[in-house]
Amino acid sequence: MVFLSLSFWREAGGAMNVNYLSVAPELILTVAVVLLLMIDVQWKPGYRWWGIAAALGFAGAIAASVMQWVGHRGEDAAEYFRGMIATDGFSAFAGILIFPIAAMALMTAWPLVRSLGRRGAEFVVLVMIAAAGAHLMAAASNLVMLFIALEVFSISLYVLAGFTRARADADEAALKYFLLGALASAIFLYGIALVFAATGTTSITGIATFLGNELLFRPGILLAGIALLVVGLGFKVSAAPFHVWAPDVYQGAPGGVTGFLAASAKIAGFAAAARVLTVALDARIEDWAPAIGVIAAVSIVVGTLLAIAQTDLKRMLAYSSVAHAGFILTALVGGAAGVADMWFYVATYAVQVVAAFGVAAVVSGPQQGPAPLADYAGLSTRSPGLALALGLMMLAMGGIPLTAGFVGKAAVFSAALDADYLWLVVLALVAAVAGLFFYLRVVVLMYMQPAEGSGSVPVPLGARIVLVVAAVVTVLAGVVPWPLLRWLGEALPG
Amino acid sequence: MVELVLFVVFAAAALFGAVTMVWARNPVYSAMGLMLSMFSVAVFYVSNGAHFIAAVQVIIYAGAVMTLFLFVIMLIGVDKAETRTENLPLQRPAALGLIALFGAGVVVAGRSAWVTGRTVSPGSPIDGSIEEVGGELFNNWLLPFEITALLLIIAAAGAIALAFFRDDEEGDA
Repeated sequence: MVFLSLSFWREAGGAMNVNYLSVAPELILTVAVVLLLMIDVQWKPGYRWWGIAAALGFAGAIAASVMQWVGHRGEDAAEYFRGMIATDGFSAFAGILIFPIAAMALMTAWPLVRSLGRRGAEFVVLVMIAAAGAHLMAAASNLVMLFIALEVFSISLYVLAGFTRARADADEAALKYFLLGALASAIFLYGIALVFAATGTTSITGIATFLGNELLFRPGILLAGIALLVVGLGFKVSAAPFHVWAPDVYQGAPGGVTGFLAASAKIAGFAAAARVLTVALDARIEDWAPAIGVIAAVSIVVGTLLAIAQTDLKRMLAYSSVAHAGFILTALVGGAAGVADMWFYVATYAVQVVAAFGVAAVVSGPQQGPAPLADYAGLSTRSPGLALALGLMMLAMGGIPLTAGFVGKAAVFSAALDADYLWLVVLALVAAVAGLFFYLRVVVLMYMQPAEGSGSVPVPLGARIVLVVAAVVTVLAGVVPWPLLRWLGEALPG
Repeated sequence: MVELVLFVVFAAAALFGAVTMVWARNPVYSAMGLMLSMFSVAVFYVSNGAHFIAAVQVIIYAGAVMTLFLFVIMLIGVDKAETRTENLPLQRPAALGLIALFGAGVVVAGRSAWVTGRTVSPGSPIDGSIEEVGGELFNNWLLPFEITALLLIIAAAGAIALAFFRDDEEGDA
């Protein structure tokens, strides 16, 4: 490992501490991306080669994240590149989570990649770059670095959302996502500028030190900056009232992409939120925790109520994702104490949502367009495997015991209770029970309604693997959650 | 004193340019208004000692980007006047209300002395030279600078993917 951690050109300001291991996942993915593009241009080897390049890139990135995890779990953050990147259990766990999720999403989207013709290479490339950006968001320890990582992640997703331009709703989804996302990025950037004005630094640990040592008598600029940062991150994780883009985008984008979009945006957005709020702004928890609590409550109520009224599976999942953003935010009102609970919910929800959109992608055919609920009537007789997988994911999202969703909800509620947010927990419990209605409706539709069409839905191998893996993870994390919970105690930002 | 006069003149010019950009019916006037606004901002950079940024502002924004805008406007057609009918009935009153709210916020913010963080020691002169910018960029901000390379890959791949789309292209390669 020593030969990789070069530290060159020392000068008055201290060492550069360039450490390639700290950005190894990004480096490996970028090398894979460049190789894929160049070899594709030169020899046109087709989609099999894209799959090999993506598999190698993701395998390398996962391996690098595991190495970081082994070396840094449970320790204080080590900062590299002049404090731009923090390597700790938090960023390593984010990598261990993001890269497999991205690979799973790519596998469910594979029929789409093949149907895209020559443009499929760009699709694979954008998924890989988005995953790298998502991991950078979790690892960034400077607000400027965080912003650039956020843009790398978001801009790839804007393009991915509009990839199937043959469908008008995909075009609409991409444009809406782009315009509102650009606005949210601008708000986030303004927040960074105001926090910089108030504290004199953009370094996350630097802000924490400044706020810990200085007493600001009139913290107006700082508070405005915090508010704008929360709005910007709230948009990314689709928390209400910054969620209006989510339903159209989730419905319009191809199913495989939507799964990735929903899962990775939650992982990266909440990782960034946890690091900014509980590390940089920890001294100001009295200011932001009530705001987070209100946003959580609004998200849970709005998401649950609107999900009940939906007739399209992808749209319903979009509103349910708003509600889940609220549940996850519930953990953050406790500050640093809730980060491990947040991780558990985010990790298990990411697996569930990738699998659920994977089923939607399979049922709606290679173009992976809209998914009206009527298509799912009697699915259990046509394709028992698909029905079983989707049913399990619905139960998990609803929070039925013996699934990961139940443990996740219990974890975030206990975090909020420890922080004395009883009203929020009561509200969330009521909403969780109400939410069972629309999750169980899908199950009833699949198992107790007569099938409309006949003939089973062919399930590609990639989607099959993803569904089996997701089902195993969801049940395992629900029945024996303790190992995962113990590991997550070492995945805290330092 | 010179600085104050410069500020007043070019702040007025920047505001005038910005308002023109939004208000003008002819898109070419809008582009010219934007150019005026950008030039005025470049003057502020000079008066703050950031000569390199000022040069970049003039060359890239007031030069290259504006040429691109004018090119697009010419391609689309200059004679297409904008219709100002609103589809959303409450949009204008709501906008006026929000402007008033924003103005009130600015007034409140401007009247009170906000305590901000560290201040730059007045003794150190600000040097916006290329050496200074380069030193910062390749020392403190090396990693963000390198990561912007990823953004360029996204731009290239995304432009190809979205622009090369044709209806007849769909299907197995």
